[in-house]
Amino acid sequence: MSADPEFENLVKLYYRDLYRFGFSLTRSEVDATDLTQETFYIWANKRHQLRNPANVKSWLFTTLHREFLKICRRRKRVADEPINEAAQNLPHVSADVVNRIDAQTMLDALGQIDEDYRAPLVLYYLEDLSYKQIGNVLAIPLGTVQSRIARAKIKLLQLLSETKTPHRRIEK
Amino acid sequence: MNTSEAKEKLLLYRGPIDHADPQFREALACAHRDPELAEWLREQVSYYGVIRSKLREVEPPGDLAEKIISNQPIPSGRDWTQILKLAAAIIISAAITAVSMKLWQRDAHRLTHGREIVVRGEVLDLTCYVAYNWSGPKHASCAMDCIKSGLPVGIKAEDGKVYLLTGKEAHVNAELADYAAKIVTIKGKETAREGFAQIQVEEIRKF
Repeated sequence: MSADPEFENLVKLYYRDLYRFGFSLTRSEVDATDLTQETFYIWANKRHQLRNPANVKSWLFTTLHREFLKICRRRKRVADEPINEAAQNLPHVSADVVNRIDAQTMLDALGQIDEDYRAPLVLYYLEDLSYKQIGNVLAIPLGTVQSRIARAKIKLLQLLSETKTPHRRIEK
Repeated sequence: MNTSEAKEKLLLYRGPIDHADPQFREALACAHRDPELAEWLREQVSYYGVIRSKLREVEPPGDLAEKIISNQPIPSGRDWTQILKLAAAIIISAAITAVSMKLWQRDAHRLTHGREIVVRGEVLDLTCYVAYNWSGPKHASCAMDCIKSGLPVGIKAEDGKVYLLTGKEAHVNAELADYAAKIVTIKGKETAREGFAQIQVEEIRKF
């Protein structure tokens, strides 16, 4: 039992969303778990700096993303090719294909998208954040958020359109 | 707006969550008029919903919440970085005050004397104001403590100009500590040293 009900409530409220964000970024259960834990521990030590409690959700996502970027730097990750597709190249994906794709296939496709584009796209799909809030979380301007999401979405749909059948399920 | 431009805009449209966003208004109006575009939009929103639900199928390990809660770090309670910054600001401020007083004693003629003025404004704890731009009601309690402890006290006039209040130090600080972050009127002689404005306080009106 926690001696800090505020901490406990916050964890119960957001740990799933943060874990999903972390998992979508890293595709690793261990990394997503570490990122989620670290995010809450940072909040526990810095909560008094958060002037507006209404912004706690954005603050947590921002923190997790920053921690993720640290991991990327530590691992000297080589950036993927930037996405150059124009919006008019939106591929046609049949409803049947989209409906049959499983979560693991979706995550594999996401993993092929450069992190700069993946993070805004994941927030676009997973969280009910406005574009401005997504920009605040990732510290990028609104116009950049929208262009990155648009390009990443086209890329994702292209990848999904090339998918034949779901190949495996997420292993817990 | 033609169909192609509307599609460009609506590419990001997620459904109800974006309905009130004005950037989609014109493109949505196009979709109302154009059945083909409306069908395309329905398909896109439906894909959004499917992809979202697939991604939300990801579940964290069953014991993650308990693990995080049970390993909660003991809160430090204090932000030592902030405290160290404040301590540094106080030391610097005290050093400046000491040097100023020394110069005052040795070099009093360099103080530029001006006319008698009346200034209405907010009482400031100058240390925190100069170091962090802290002022106003949220900072009143800290300002009161700083002024009581003898740190420099100032006034921010209604035109934004800031003055160091001088006089009998203990007298000025004691008189103004309870008025930290509040509005008072100061009457006194305007002086300046090295461009820094000061008022040699003669009268304090607390209303």
